[in-house]
Amino acid sequence: MKINWQLFRRIVNLAVILGVIIWSMEGMNINLERIARGIPSIGNIIKLMFPPDMDFFSRSLSAMMESIQIAVIGTTIAAILAFPISFLSAAKIGVPFSVVFLAKQILNAIRTFPELILGIFFVASYGPGPLAGVMAIGINSIGMLGKLNSEIVETIDRGPIEALEASGSNRAEVFLYAIFPQVLPQFLATALYRFELNLRAATVLGLVGAGGIGVILLQSLQFRRWPVVGMSLLIIIVVVTIIDYTSAYIRKRIT
Amino acid sequence: MEILEFENVSVVYPGNVEALKKVSLTIKEGEFVVIVGLSGAGKSTLLRTVNRLVEPTEGIIRIGGRDITKLNKKELKKMRAQIGMIFQNFNLVNRSRVVRNVLAGRLSYVPTWRTMLGMFPLKDKEIALSALERVRIGEKANVRADHLSGGQQQRVGIARALAQQPQIILADEPVASLDPPTSHAVMKDLRRINKEDNITTLVNLHFIDLAQEYGERIIGLRDGELVFDGPASEVDEGVFEEIYGRSITDDDLRGGTQVAPREEG
Repeated sequence: MKINWQLFRRIVNLAVILGVIIWSMEGMNINLERIARGIPSIGNIIKLMFPPDMDFFSRSLSAMMESIQIAVIGTTIAAILAFPISFLSAAKIGVPFSVVFLAKQILNAIRTFPELILGIFFVASYGPGPLAGVMAIGINSIGMLGKLNSEIVETIDRGPIEALEASGSNRAEVFLYAIFPQVLPQFLATALYRFELNLRAATVLGLVGAGGIGVILLQSLQFRRWPVVGMSLLIIIVVVTIIDYTSAYIRKRIT
Repeated sequence: MEILEFENVSVVYPGNVEALKKVSLTIKEGEFVVIVGLSGAGKSTLLRTVNRLVEPTEGIIRIGGRDITKLNKKELKKMRAQIGMIFQNFNLVNRSRVVRNVLAGRLSYVPTWRTMLGMFPLKDKEIALSALERVRIGEKANVRADHLSGGQQQRVGIARALAQQPQIILADEPVASLDPPTSHAVMKDLRRINKEDNITTLVNLHFIDLAQEYGERIIGLRDGELVFDGPASEVDEGVFEEIYGRSITDDDLRGGTQVAPREEG
């Protein structure tokens, strides 16, 4: 009898995926009954958050501003540090293979550290406060920015480079006149996108003491002051939404 | 006077692909030479050996009597500054303004600290603008390059080459991406500049009607070998069939009218 290998492979794949899911659920002792039982509590907590504590409006808002500042400075630092690496890790623009390989490995290594771990690390080394948040975001974002930017560099039109080389321009001129103008708008767009992600990270980083609105969240959660939690969450949601839309609009305009 | 000499020039690409086989030829100052051949015949390679975008594997190339195959990096840059090049795909920076694209032709003449700051001397800006005037698109100087039509973009490419104030212009399939009327307009521009400035011009074409109409001298390449070299007046369909190694089809003709002084907005 002829074995249908394709069918066999499909069955094996499906069995493996199902196996992993069942293993995960068993390990956490999750079942539908427990999930259903928690739903009323969720509703209760949300009810407790309303009305949000207006006394905390200005404190929450200014803490949110700090989160924005952490995200702005962190993203800026990351964009600056990622800039040279974006080119060093790009194949096909004349950088030696060994350099490209090394730069790519560095970017990969940076990306393996979660923000919160970096946050804890920098809170430990710089003490609690926004500087630790800036450092965590600044270092963490280099990985993604460097990777996305180097992909942008790899897809540029080589035509202008050839044209300038043919006219006797030197490497610096080829970079500034043929490469840079092609990548700049897209670099800015990735930085803005990363800023949107970093703003979310900056709101959470306070939970490990790294400044911003997360600090208020942490304290009010610890003492179960739900109306304050409600106020903070409300501000996070509104501000993040506004900034997301603005940033997306700008990204669309510049690319 | 000879400006350009090829002596037994061969190019072998990696993988043992012989792109040029012992080509020898001499080009006089001010000549308008059209190089024809099928794609893959070595036209592009031949053109690119002149400014050493492609390094010859063997042989000697002389510009103004000087062997350029041995030049060091600095000398090579200086030599390239005097050779303008025009490309099939225009090779402009789409996002940059037209004038910035044309100023790129001045880069090798301006000190690097100035080019890094974008501070071009007035003289060089004037050269760039007048180059644009020469190809009748002076009014487009501050438009982004990708807002222009194909024909206008190629004229920006010509202006960039002109801004180098070159001795030689190399044009690699300059009209292959353009429609017939625009093709004629661009060929006319190249021919006019060749006559007015006495700039030696080498043009790769695969359209035989354009080659006959605009070429003074025609060079035919087949499989990397020089198989024809003579005045355009001596060339007929039989010669092209010889160069192409097959009979001529409609695809080998650009066609279209010749009257198109202002073909598009």
